[in-house]
Amino acid sequence: MLARSAEGLYWLGRHVERTEDLCRLLLEQMGTLVDRPVREINFGWRRIYGTLGRRPPGPAVGVTESDDDYALADSYTLADDLTFERTNPGSVLKSFSNGRENARQMRHCISGEMWTCLNLAWLRLGARRIEDIWKAAPESFYADLAREMNLFAGVADTTLYRDDGRRFLQLGRLVERAQFTTALLAAHLDGVRSYGETADSEWSSLLRICLAFDIYKHRYGVEIRPARVLDLLVDDPRLPRSLCRAVDAAAETLGAIALGPGPSGAVRRLAGDIASAVHRPWPAAPSLDDHAERLRRLAGECLRLHDLVMAAHVDYDPNGAPVR
Amino acid sequence: MDFSNYRLDAGFYDEVLQPDGTPRAHCKPLCDSLAGISAAELGEIQDRVTSSFLREGITFTVYGDGEADERIIPIDCIPRILPAAEWAELEAGLKQRVLALNRFLGDVYGECRAIADGVIPEDMVRGCPQYRREMHGAAPPHGTWVAICGTDVVRTEDGFVVLEDNLRVPSGVSYMIANRKAVKSNLPRLYRRCRVREVEHYGDLLLATLRELAPPNRPDPCIAVLTPGVWNAAFYEHMFLAHQLGAELVEGRDLLTRNGFVYMRTTEGLRQVDVIYRRVDDDFLDPLVFRPDSLLGAPGLLQAYRLGNVTLANAPGTGVADDKSVYAWVPDLIRYYLGEEPILANVPTRICRRPEDLEYTLDNLDRLVVKRVGEAGGYGMLVGPHATPAERESYAAGLRADPGDFISQEVLSLSRAPCLVDGRLEPRHVDLRPFVLRGRDTRIVPGAFCRVALRRGSLVVNSSQGGGGKDVWVLES
Repeated sequence: MLARSAEGLYWLGRHVERTEDLCRLLLEQMGTLVDRPVREINFGWRRIYGTLGRRPPGPAVGVTESDDDYALADSYTLADDLTFERTNPGSVLKSFSNGRENARQMRHCISGEMWTCLNLAWLRLGARRIEDIWKAAPESFYADLAREMNLFAGVADTTLYRDDGRRFLQLGRLVERAQFTTALLAAHLDGVRSYGETADSEWSSLLRICLAFDIYKHRYGVEIRPARVLDLLVDDPRLPRSLCRAVDAAAETLGAIALGPGPSGAVRRLAGDIASAVHRPWPAAPSLDDHAERLRRLAGECLRLHDLVMAAHVDYDPNGAPVR
Repeated sequence: MDFSNYRLDAGFYDEVLQPDGTPRAHCKPLCDSLAGISAAELGEIQDRVTSSFLREGITFTVYGDGEADERIIPIDCIPRILPAAEWAELEAGLKQRVLALNRFLGDVYGECRAIADGVIPEDMVRGCPQYRREMHGAAPPHGTWVAICGTDVVRTEDGFVVLEDNLRVPSGVSYMIANRKAVKSNLPRLYRRCRVREVEHYGDLLLATLRELAPPNRPDPCIAVLTPGVWNAAFYEHMFLAHQLGAELVEGRDLLTRNGFVYMRTTEGLRQVDVIYRRVDDDFLDPLVFRPDSLLGAPGLLQAYRLGNVTLANAPGTGVADDKSVYAWVPDLIRYYLGEEPILANVPTRICRRPEDLEYTLDNLDRLVVKRVGEAGGYGMLVGPHATPAERESYAAGLRADPGDFISQEVLSLSRAPCLVDGRLEPRHVDLRPFVLRGRDTRIVPGAFCRVALRRGSLVVNSSQGGGGKDVWVLES
């Protein structure tokens, strides 16, 4: 398929996944605002910004790097920054509008049902601003948008022809998911390390963000143990959004994509290496620092995977490329 | 919903009602259907039609004040209906015209017989900004220079008249199909009762046409649609056509040439492209030949074309045949190349490069339509009767400064059709853009993009100037 189309589909997958991930982060945080202590609220904001690798709009609201200062920034401002701020490349609106723009440019490569699904969500979003959703229940805004992104994935699954186009879309989702999961877990562990003792509710909220809370309870009961949480979110291939499932599926998808003129072999090897690294047994009784370090390494490898995919199939030098 | 307050003004042909207010025979089912529903119900139908366009994101882009704005084209839910006999006349006339214009292009870039025989002045052809001397001696497959033609036709009280031929990159066909889809699904019983001819197979006909034009020895040609990019006003249509054809939608940056062949960059390497349905203007096709600053085409594209290794549809240089000045000679060209009388009439046109025509135009500016030869889309046009004295004065200054850039025509009494405006039926001026395809054979789908001047009394139907659209129903019998 046309290299630029493949790139567009790949980014469509990434942006849709990113929008959904952001919505789940913020949905959970909105719930925290309702009945949790200030400390947990701060922990939540810190985790979100850590996941995105960004600083909150501190100067505007007087936030310093002090742990407590997230409390000074009112949640309204932070939610606005993360949801509607167009200059924030990691905001929900920016991610979603990027995805919709990818879809608009690639409408001939996706099904009409997929386009309609995204466009309806876009129309529903309209010109909404933070004050509009804050007055009503902001949770419903994030829950609805996350559901629409889920719907898009389901519609794609049932309407898209199983060729390389679909594989690039899928690959984009999986690479984004792997990057998000490693970043989220690393940010969570950073927060735990900074705050010292953590409440069960913070680990519970981590599970809910990863759609794993009910599964954890069914599997392990109500007692929250951090090691078990990490085992489930990282290593359990039966958990739909576990890290190992994302990297396994990415490696499998890459294996099915026809070889490109660029470093295709290196891409497949790296995807396999990442999967192996995730599956490799943890050292006995690892500390949270060990976990954090390992996740940071994986995050770096996932970034490299993205670059190699582009080099293999999209940004290759045409002068040396074979004629098919 | 009835026509009780509908104005039937003398001098304007109404597409639905006769001068005495009774429905034309082929529009009786439409009138019966409208009589059976309330204004509120028709309003709901209109809302559903509009929302279907919103839902599917069927848009065009308007540029102004440096901003690009993605807009929904306003579609009126009441179809324009053409009886079979009228369509047969139109179809014959359009096919005749496209055939003659293709012969003309082969001639002006070949032997130049029409010039030598005095049918058309040489300076009219060679002085045309769209004349491409680089195309001299080119021999497109089957002599087809214009593969896709969108001819603008209007109806006056005297019958159909061709307003202009669009032979470069005519747009609007996607709206013809989108209008049909939206209106058909919202007026299903009326549609069935009227026995309307289908238009949705346009993509199949276009594909067959492009395949016929592929270079020899390429039995399974690779076809691509070349778009200037997502910010182009007609990008939706480019994407729609690529989807219909099952072709890749490429931009200039996706293409490269090597050893006289054209390739596109795929995820697996380079793939040879055989036919390019280009929606990029001539000037931007090849920076080695035309505008050197163009990033929209591919260097070496014209050489590949001249070598016969790739087909461009439409061929570069076709603009010389839809030039607003050359237009005046089309009836003579039909007689010359085909030995037939034109089936469809032209609008009498004055060429302002002639001193006597310039003088006449300046003296009668308040009752003429004056157009810039090089403009399209309703831009650069003066509708004298609707312009203010200051606008006419300003326009006259431009006319005097560069008369060769202008033509003038009498204001036509464009026919009108009922539209739903503010909850009631009101007449609005309409035109018609049918699409003719020519490969080895000539094909035409029985339908058109009908443009509507939505502002009361306005004659400007262009989408970029506040125009809307209507579905066109060509009846089986």
